[in-house]
Amino acid sequence: MNQPAQTGKSASYGSKRFRSRSFKEALEFYVFISPWFIVFILLGLIPLLYGLYLSFTNYAGFNMDRLVYVGFDNYRKVFTDNDAMYSLGRTIFFTVIMVPASIVLGFLLAVLLNQNIKGIGIYRTLFFIPSIIPVVAVGTMWRSLFVEDGVINNLLLQLGLQPVDWLGYDYAIYPLFIMLLWGVGGGILIYLAGLKGVSKDLYEAAAIDGATTVQRFAKITIPLVTPVLFFQFIMSIIGSLQIFVQPILLAANSNSLLSTPIRPIYVYSVHAFQQIFAYGRFGYGLALLWVLFIMILALTVVVFSTSKLWVFYEVDQGGK
Amino acid sequence: MKKTLWTACLSLLVLSGMLSACAGNTNSNNAPGKNAASSENANAGDVSEKPVAGGKPVVIRHTMYDSEFTSEMVAEFEKTHPNIKVEIVSADYNKLMAMMAAGNGPDIIRTNSVTELPGYVLKGMALDLTSNFNTSSVFKTEDFLPVVNQFKYDTITGEHGSGALYGFPKDWSPDYTIYYNKKMFEEAGVPVPSSTEAMTWKQLVELGQKLTVKNGNKVSQYGLVYFNGGTIANQDLINLQLLQQGGSMYSDDFGQADLTTPQMKDLLQFWVDTAKSGVGPSPLHQETDWGGQLFVDDKAAIIIAGYWFSGFLKTNELTKDRLGDFGVAPAPTMEGGKRISPTGAGTGAIIYKNTKHPKEAWEVFEWFFGGKPAEDRAKAGYGLPGTQTLAEMLPQSTEFDKMNYDFIQNELKYTDGSLPYNPYLNYQAVNSIFEKYFTPVYFDKDSIDGATQKMTEELNTLISEGKQLVSPE
Repeated sequence: MNQPAQTGKSASYGSKRFRSRSFKEALEFYVFISPWFIVFILLGLIPLLYGLYLSFTNYAGFNMDRLVYVGFDNYRKVFTDNDAMYSLGRTIFFTVIMVPASIVLGFLLAVLLNQNIKGIGIYRTLFFIPSIIPVVAVGTMWRSLFVEDGVINNLLLQLGLQPVDWLGYDYAIYPLFIMLLWGVGGGILIYLAGLKGVSKDLYEAAAIDGATTVQRFAKITIPLVTPVLFFQFIMSIIGSLQIFVQPILLAANSNSLLSTPIRPIYVYSVHAFQQIFAYGRFGYGLALLWVLFIMILALTVVVFSTSKLWVFYEVDQGGK
Repeated sequence: MKKTLWTACLSLLVLSGMLSACAGNTNSNNAPGKNAASSENANAGDVSEKPVAGGKPVVIRHTMYDSEFTSEMVAEFEKTHPNIKVEIVSADYNKLMAMMAAGNGPDIIRTNSVTELPGYVLKGMALDLTSNFNTSSVFKTEDFLPVVNQFKYDTITGEHGSGALYGFPKDWSPDYTIYYNKKMFEEAGVPVPSSTEAMTWKQLVELGQKLTVKNGNKVSQYGLVYFNGGTIANQDLINLQLLQQGGSMYSDDFGQADLTTPQMKDLLQFWVDTAKSGVGPSPLHQETDWGGQLFVDDKAAIIIAGYWFSGFLKTNELTKDRLGDFGVAPAPTMEGGKRISPTGAGTGAIIYKNTKHPKEAWEVFEWFFGGKPAEDRAKAGYGLPGTQTLAEMLPQSTEFDKMNYDFIQNELKYTDGSLPYNPYLNYQAVNSIFEKYFTPVYFDKDSIDGATQKMTEELNTLISEGKQLVSPE
């Protein structure tokens, strides 16, 4: 008679133990992530929300004691500001070109650098070097190559060709593209990690079945590195929409962050920076940046929602 | 597992402690409301907060380039002022704005008296130092040169040059004088300009064109460069030309801008033609170096720069041993206009109105702007000083020094006049507007009419916002 009662007690005890274990696990989890989490809240979230609050004010950098709440005025202004819309258009234009170009180029380079040939380490290092050089040094270097009296024009002259006004109105986008693409090697490391993760067994099995190299690349390599491509796709979109310092380094008066790049390379983040630091419109500049943040977030969500259609995960993603 | 958990807990505790300590410091030092309240009517002579218990010195943060306020000077000051530690903050405008925005402004702020002082006063950044100067044992107001008035601003009348005194110049120059390379003149077979008679702007550009060397469209030697940007339309050069002609981009009360006047359009056309001629760097002929570097690299024959440039030539590795190659000539003037050769900067400093340590900040200020560093600067000739006594120490020992000294004595007769910068506009904002709207004109992507219309509209919007911000009522 006592048996069921005993069983019930034991079940209840087991459940308590389970709850206590799961609580302990949760506690451990939060304790372990707490150093990062506290720093994120203090140095990430709070400033972010403070910036959001200021974007609803007329904050100009010095008027904290007499702030005026302006509602959504700053946000409305973003969409009526011709320069904001123009610079957004230019930013989207660069993103549309840069994202596919950098992914294709970076991935193909990684495939080449994944070959088992002698001295491949040297090539990997060479292609990776641009991504560890500070961006200001990179910009200054490219600028000195592209100026009127720079190496490229002198080379053209040596070849009997006319020098080109690379940093002028008609050509300025090309040095910018070249400068940005020069750094695609940064992604190679991630692509290589993805490529190394593809099991050789699959290639051997496909070869036995008579698959050609192209077929193996298309049917095995690409599907299995789609998680990496997906990650790079997201990061490239974010990076391209936030492009900032490179156009400034190609501006006529490039010795200051407040220099205005020539119109064809006048991008959104530069406009926001100018509004904050040159014009002293902190509230409006923050609104510009929040609009950019929301755009990036929305675009990321859209890209994520498409991932089910083209990203192949070897491990089930449906778990907790 | 237990051990790991304890370790993690302890680490977390330590980290939290550190973070809260940081946050505590930040709050106690930087709360803007608290600062504003505590020093609303502070005067630099008032007794400021005492050093913390244990004799910990007060830290005074001073924005200045480390080549201007060197680490040796800091050590020298701290030796005789053990109650104060000086921390040099790089004089970067963006950094300053970020510090101000965070309610964490530096105690002493490097300030361009011509372009920045009125704006800083109206924004409530500058502490009124009039009584400090009047009672100082270091500064004697009767010894001040007229340039010191550039640090005066009358908040009632809006007049720059009179009213309360907010700062003092470190050094200054008539900034639009001309230095030239004699050898390049010889090579071009062109006579050097007079050291006493001013050329017109047109004559100067024509002279520059004679000295420009081109290979097809490519310029290998510029005839005329400006130290502070391209040889193009910018607010500095245009403000000077307008001052000489008796005009301004702005209404008398600075409440309106109008760049669409025939006078403005003529001036802008002059600079478009100048840029297109390739006489100097411009968006059409871009350079990686500033004008001074082009000059010492023998890539430019003439540079528009002030007396301070003689000091630069004396210390630059590329020129210090060939100073005889260089000559100096007066600032150009507008045809039919008044000869005026004003300072374009008058760089010095103000004390931040909300400083927690006005007394210590004044001690540093007094020492740096009126003490030994000021004497050393005057003796080196790196710019002109702010007092008559110091002016007598200007170097005259070498041929080059003597040439510069004699030249400046004559040029100083023409320094009267204040460049018309608008106190409601950030200097940087006007630069941006010129760059953004006027650069397309050089490439024939916009007309002067179109650009001036857009510039006027944007300037007026900014003026209206600026006025609203400094006097919201």
